[in-house]
Amino acid sequence: MRELFHEIASSIRQNKLRTALTGFAVSWGIFLLIALLGAGNGLMNSFSGNMEQYVSQTVTVSGWRTSKPYAGYKENRNIQLDQRDLNYTEGPEWEGVIGNVSVATSSQSVKLTLEGRNVNGWMRGVMPDFQETEKLQMSAGRFLNVDDIKGRRKVIVVSRSQAKELSPRNPEALIGQWISAGSVAFRVVGIYHTDEQDFRQTCPIPYSTYKGIYDHTDKIEDISFTVNGPSTLKEHQDFEDSYTGALKRMHDIAPDDRRGIWVRNGYTDNLEMSNASRILSLAMWILGLLTLVSGIVGVSNIMLITVKERTHEFGIRKAIGAKPHNILSLIIAESVTITAIFGYVGMFLGMIACEVLDKTVGQRGVNIGFEEIRMLVNPSVGLDVALEATLLLIVAGTLAGIIPAWKAAKVKPIEALRAE
Amino acid sequence: MALIELKDINKTYNNGQPLHVLKGINLSIERGEFVSIMGASGSGKSTLLNILGILDNYDTGTYHLDGKLIKDLTEKQAADYRNRMIGFVFQSFNLISFKTALENVELPLYYQGVPRRKRQEMAMEYLEKMGLTPWATHFPNEMSGGQKQRVAIARALITKPQIILADEPTGALDSKTSVEVMQLLKQLNQQDGITIIVVTHEGGVANETDKIIHIKDGIIGEIEENTRHTAWGGTIIK
Repeated sequence: MRELFHEIASSIRQNKLRTALTGFAVSWGIFLLIALLGAGNGLMNSFSGNMEQYVSQTVTVSGWRTSKPYAGYKENRNIQLDQRDLNYTEGPEWEGVIGNVSVATSSQSVKLTLEGRNVNGWMRGVMPDFQETEKLQMSAGRFLNVDDIKGRRKVIVVSRSQAKELSPRNPEALIGQWISAGSVAFRVVGIYHTDEQDFRQTCPIPYSTYKGIYDHTDKIEDISFTVNGPSTLKEHQDFEDSYTGALKRMHDIAPDDRRGIWVRNGYTDNLEMSNASRILSLAMWILGLLTLVSGIVGVSNIMLITVKERTHEFGIRKAIGAKPHNILSLIIAESVTITAIFGYVGMFLGMIACEVLDKTVGQRGVNIGFEEIRMLVNPSVGLDVALEATLLLIVAGTLAGIIPAWKAAKVKPIEALRAE
Repeated sequence: MALIELKDINKTYNNGQPLHVLKGINLSIERGEFVSIMGASGSGKSTLLNILGILDNYDTGTYHLDGKLIKDLTEKQAADYRNRMIGFVFQSFNLISFKTALENVELPLYYQGVPRRKRQEMAMEYLEKMGLTPWATHFPNEMSGGQKQRVAIARALITKPQIILADEPTGALDSKTSVEVMQLLKQLNQQDGITIIVVTHEGGVANETDKIIHIKDGIIGEIEENTRHTAWGGTIIK
């Protein structure tokens, strides 16, 4: 092993400039590969990070304006879900497929007041499992429970950022206090966690309380439920079509109307997102690999020249007893060494580039109207990619060396000795 | 059986026009002989040496080296035989330029898989024998022609081969150094009993050997016993 490295080192020393130029191509290829994958990961992290707050593993439906005339009705008719839809959803037809069903009212803007301090919020009547489906984490107190619903209690849960506005010194002290929301007073029972990036302002109150105070009809704004059974994107879409088809029939909406029933399907959203993430990562790999190919061709080229220049030396080695595989492994080892050393330089620089991206673009938020999001979140590549890239470099180096090595190994000693 | 036994060796090169270079060579060389092969350029002496050195193959006939038939060997076998049985000394020394004298000498042992420490020890021993101890860490371009040829001889000897094949060993040296190198070879033959075959076109060089084999147009001509070193009227080198 030591001899091999010694030989490689002396051969590289002889062709410093050429080796450096070729090595640059390899470094550049790996650099781009790592930087692209890192940026791609950052973009995906940003997507999923920003989406995670909203996309839950539930399907939510609500009424929407129709876009087509049907069954004697004009277009632009407002559709309102009601008890029938809830009964259908909970009914026998989807037994075993539709799991927990929950309802929620629409949000209404409200000004919360405590001792002269105000903050804006969106009040919404919900059921207890709203916490689960919306992934609310409590930072203090509790979420709404069944007793709140049954007793139509005037209780409210606020976000941490709202709590901070109302009670800047000690937000937790808000628990148990009565705050006024418009003309009605609610007792705060819980504060849910929000971080700097999170601008949610929903203030959940019991569904029954909301109905009792603000809306006395049996209208239902939102029905949301979990789904068991479908697993692929297609199965989820088929389920969605079949379910909304039934709702459309009940409300006399044209079957081919894309409006009328509004659906947000967390399952398909998640599946589509992970698909997108896979495709993005694949695209990055392909781009990086294509760049790397030019590096490999470069190494192969330099090895061919090296082999040609060293033919006489190989003749001497063969005359004194070098077997073909000795020569073969010498060349391939040299090729792998050049590729690996420069590849690692590129990998290292690529990781630095990811860090730089993180510190610059990654820290900058982009305003998308109602909130700010970060373009890149933690753009980096994992250990798995580093290992894959290492393997790739070894394979690439071997590929680059194989033709020159084969040429060197098969030349006859007598011809090699004659070469100058 | 003699150390080297050639029977009716034929060799034809087929580069466009077929060229019949060796036309039935019969030759036997005993262990411990000091022989020269003489001939004009194009006589086939280099081809003969290449066949003897298993660097080239022949078309028909048989070649036995130390009782082994050398025919249709794989590259690997040929490399192994060359490594263990034959030591080469070339006109242009054929040292590897980016290796020191020591590294050049130990290289044949590297291909035998001898451990590094052992190799270096042996290489130093042979360099000492050639009077080159102070030059061990020097590169070939830092040495004179005579020194280089002595490094090459040390490299040829380190595997304790059956024969030394020397192809115009003095061709690139001045007359004084040529004498020294021939004296060295003679000494190796007499003291260590190593079989040495020298290819040359110089009468003076051939005269240093005990037997002169003349080759002409691919056939062995006269074989001259020269134990008294009187060939060419006792010509001295150059």
